[in-house]
Amino acid sequence: MIYMVSFFMVGLVLGLVAVASNPSPYYAALGLVVAAGAGCWVIVGLGSSFLSLVLFLIYLGGMLVVFAYSAALTAEPYPEAWGSWSVVGYVVAYMVGVVTWYVVEGGVEEDGVVGLAGLEGYVVRGDWVGVSLMYSWGGWMLFVGGWVLLLTLFVVFELSRGHYSGSLRALE
Amino acid sequence: MNPIALSMILSSLALGTILTVSSNHWFLAWMGLEINTLAIIPLMAQNHHPRAVEASTKYFLTQAAASALLLFSALNNAWFTGEWSIMNLTNSISCTTMTIAICMKLGLAPFHFWLPEVLQGLNLTTGLILSTWQKLAPMAILYQISPSMNTSLLLLIGLTSTLIGGWGGLNQTQLRKILAFSSIAHLGWMASILPIMPQLMILNLIIYLIMTSTLFLTLKTISSTKISTLATSWPKTPTTTALTLLTLLSLGGLPPLSGFMPKWLILQELTNQNTPILATMLALSALLSLFFYLRLSYSITLTSSPNTSNSPLTWRHNSKQPTTLLSLMLISSFFLLPISPLMMS
Repeated sequence: MIYMVSFFMVGLVLGLVAVASNPSPYYAALGLVVAAGAGCWVIVGLGSSFLSLVLFLIYLGGMLVVFAYSAALTAEPYPEAWGSWSVVGYVVAYMVGVVTWYVVEGGVEEDGVVGLAGLEGYVVRGDWVGVSLMYSWGGWMLFVGGWVLLLTLFVVFELSRGHYSGSLRALE
Repeated sequence: MNPIALSMILSSLALGTILTVSSNHWFLAWMGLEINTLAIIPLMAQNHHPRAVEASTKYFLTQAAASALLLFSALNNAWFTGEWSIMNLTNSISCTTMTIAICMKLGLAPFHFWLPEVLQGLNLTTGLILSTWQKLAPMAILYQISPSMNTSLLLLIGLTSTLIGGWGGLNQTQLRKILAFSSIAHLGWMASILPIMPQLMILNLIIYLIMTSTLFLTLKTISSTKISTLATSWPKTPTTTALTLLTLLSLGGLPPLSGFMPKWLILQELTNQNTPILATMLALSALLSLFFYLRLSYSITLTSSPNTSNSPLTWRHNSKQPTTLLSLMLISSFFLLPISPLMMS
């Protein structure tokens, strides 16, 4: 248990390093997925599995669409991964920074655990049950919400339809 | 517009109002209002000309801001009292912000600036929907929370609305702007009576909806959007234009017509509640509105003098527009006064 959480925390840090080291957007998005997944697993380990699930779904569902669009807009013929020299420099610098911080500020506590003494295990905490209960009892409101999303799609279609004769026109 | 999209949008327009009216939970009421706003946007921008797009943008921004304020007030109330039901709005800050949010949604006086400009950008059918069907949901919420509203704030907003509605309409030549100011004035009457006797607010709303539908349908029949075309529009449908005189006077609230009933009862109730100054000011502000109604009726009916016309008549086909609804609305906007005891009971 404690090793799993430690493992995912290391994964979180490595994922953030992978994002921050300035690779091409494709690989940065991959690093972000790793970071988000690892972070959500850490939250699961701290006891809020429902919150973690919601966060994961929203994050990957919503933000990755944005990332897909921005990646498509900045498509480049020779993307730079973590093997390129410019990126490797950042990776090494960040890793040195993380290790330095760990040695100076973090450190190993007496019982050999890295500051995670208060773990509660895989427990769904009571106050988050309320959120799932809301969607259990008020499940048909979820249907209304789905209908609103579909309606919004149609509204956006209707407004952006028609190219030069539609509502959205380039300023000239 | 694509028929599938149109049917989806129209059914959502109906769904939104019905959800709001039938809900007792703030969250669902808010969802209904948002559905309503979203669904009318493509109808407003359906012609894709810049003015319609501008109008729908303005409408969307104001309605979204008002909805956000409404949701914020409901959340505040739930945070302090743990109560999501519409009838139990007890937190005083929430009551005030909720009043402001709904007044913004309806276009009452300090938040009325969007209404004339939005209405001017729409065609008459969408304008009819905007000034009738879209008023129902906020009015239903306002009726439900009326016991906990801030009385002096509502009276102030009501009086300001009637005055602004009267003064604003004076200098207009565009009929849709005049109708928007008339809507502001009538909603001001409703807001003034709301904290004292909510049933009268509903009565006034019903009568107002009938009268304004009549006027919108008439204008659609003679396809006129400004005063200068009113004067030459009588050859299209002479009877309707003649009857429009009565519609306008009914909107102005003159005695034998339906429009007199809510004004009479509201003034009576205000006098019974020992607020004669407010009643007097409301009555005087109705004179301001009456002035532009009279000018409209002068243009539409009284300028066709009974002699040989030396101006060319407007060339026309026989009108093929459906007039069933118009005739029903015309009758009910004239002759409802005798059954006012029935409506009050």
